[in-house]
Amino acid sequence: MANLKDIRKRIGTIESIRQVTRAMKLVAAAKLRRAQSNMEQARPYAGRINGVLKHLLPDIDRNTHQLLNMRPARKKAFVVFTSDRGLCGSFNTNILKQARAIIDEAGKDRSQLICIGRKGYEFFNKRGYDIVEHYADFWNELNFSHAVKIAEAVTSRYLAGEYDDVRVIYNQFKNVAQQKIEEFHYLPLVLEEDDEKINQDYLFEPSKGEVVTALIPRHLNVQMWRFLLESNASEQAARMTSMEAATENAGDLIDRLRLEYNKARQAAITTEILEVVSGAEALVE
Amino acid sequence: MAAQFQLEIITPTQVFDEGAVDYLRAPGVDGAFGVMAGHTASIMALDIGEIKVVKGSVEATYAATQGFAEITENGVQLLVESAEPKADIDLGRAQQAYDRAKEHLNQKHEESIDEARAEVALKRAMNRLRVGGK
Repeated sequence: MANLKDIRKRIGTIESIRQVTRAMKLVAAAKLRRAQSNMEQARPYAGRINGVLKHLLPDIDRNTHQLLNMRPARKKAFVVFTSDRGLCGSFNTNILKQARAIIDEAGKDRSQLICIGRKGYEFFNKRGYDIVEHYADFWNELNFSHAVKIAEAVTSRYLAGEYDDVRVIYNQFKNVAQQKIEEFHYLPLVLEEDDEKINQDYLFEPSKGEVVTALIPRHLNVQMWRFLLESNASEQAARMTSMEAATENAGDLIDRLRLEYNKARQAAITTEILEVVSGAEALVE
Repeated sequence: MAAQFQLEIITPTQVFDEGAVDYLRAPGVDGAFGVMAGHTASIMALDIGEIKVVKGSVEATYAATQGFAEITENGVQLLVESAEPKADIDLGRAQQAYDRAKEHLNQKHEESIDEARAEVALKRAMNRLRVGGK
């Protein structure tokens, strides 16, 4: 049986670990709330732009706009969203595994990567993938300009002909307990088209074509923003869940150790009493 | 009292619900235009510039970036990437952004894309300085 001091020390250690995991859980919960409210805020804007574009695109000749034009996809680019930090359960592992499978299927040497978040960069860099851009260390002060920066970089490389097709792989936020890995066709722009035209006769200023040209970058920016927010919310949710589990496990472990400690203590006392009693008996005789 | 219309300014991070307003002036790509109640339904592309809203005797201004305006019989929605109420504009930061963009433009660039980006940044900073400094 382990001695009392050792057990006491272990209990102390686990208690301080539990404090850390509990604090991390609370921090993640607060960040999750913020991420969710950001997602809430972005919805009207994204929905409206999407709605207008969807109605306009059927009228536009795809060949007239570079970002709409479907060209044979010889080279592909993948934008992979991960977090900067670990301790969030299987959040990064899962997405990296799936992203790798998707990229390998498309052909490793015909694919370029844009890594958002440090974990993804480290993973793919170590394995010799062609990473053309990577972004890290911004999740804490995430704002819309990051989305614009990434979207512009991705788009300008696309326009320069470095790749012909862009896919985004990210964790979609379903609810706190559930994140779903999604693959999204970012460029060329495809929207589930609506047959129903805008039910009103709009006047377009300066012209329909130019309105579409102006809208597409807006749409791409806000989509990128959505990916960032979804991924961020998913990360915090995953961290919250796994830290909660860790806190619970620490509690279980402490209970078990306490029991063991008490048993050891009782055994020690019993032994001592026995020693005293048998010592006294020996004197009597 | 003249007829009013509903106005909302929607950005990816915030919605400004202006409620019923009398007059709106927005920066179209072909020049600023005014909207009053009863305007023809239209969709207009917007450039970086100043949005002015008149409600009775109250005037509000925003420094806004690109987007578009959707005008329907129910009201007007301005969808712009960013809109800052005049009072919120940080002139010091705008000035810094202005200087940075200026300096960026003075250097030679290999890629025209950087230059285009710097020009847009310059335009944004100038707009904020103008709206905020009034």
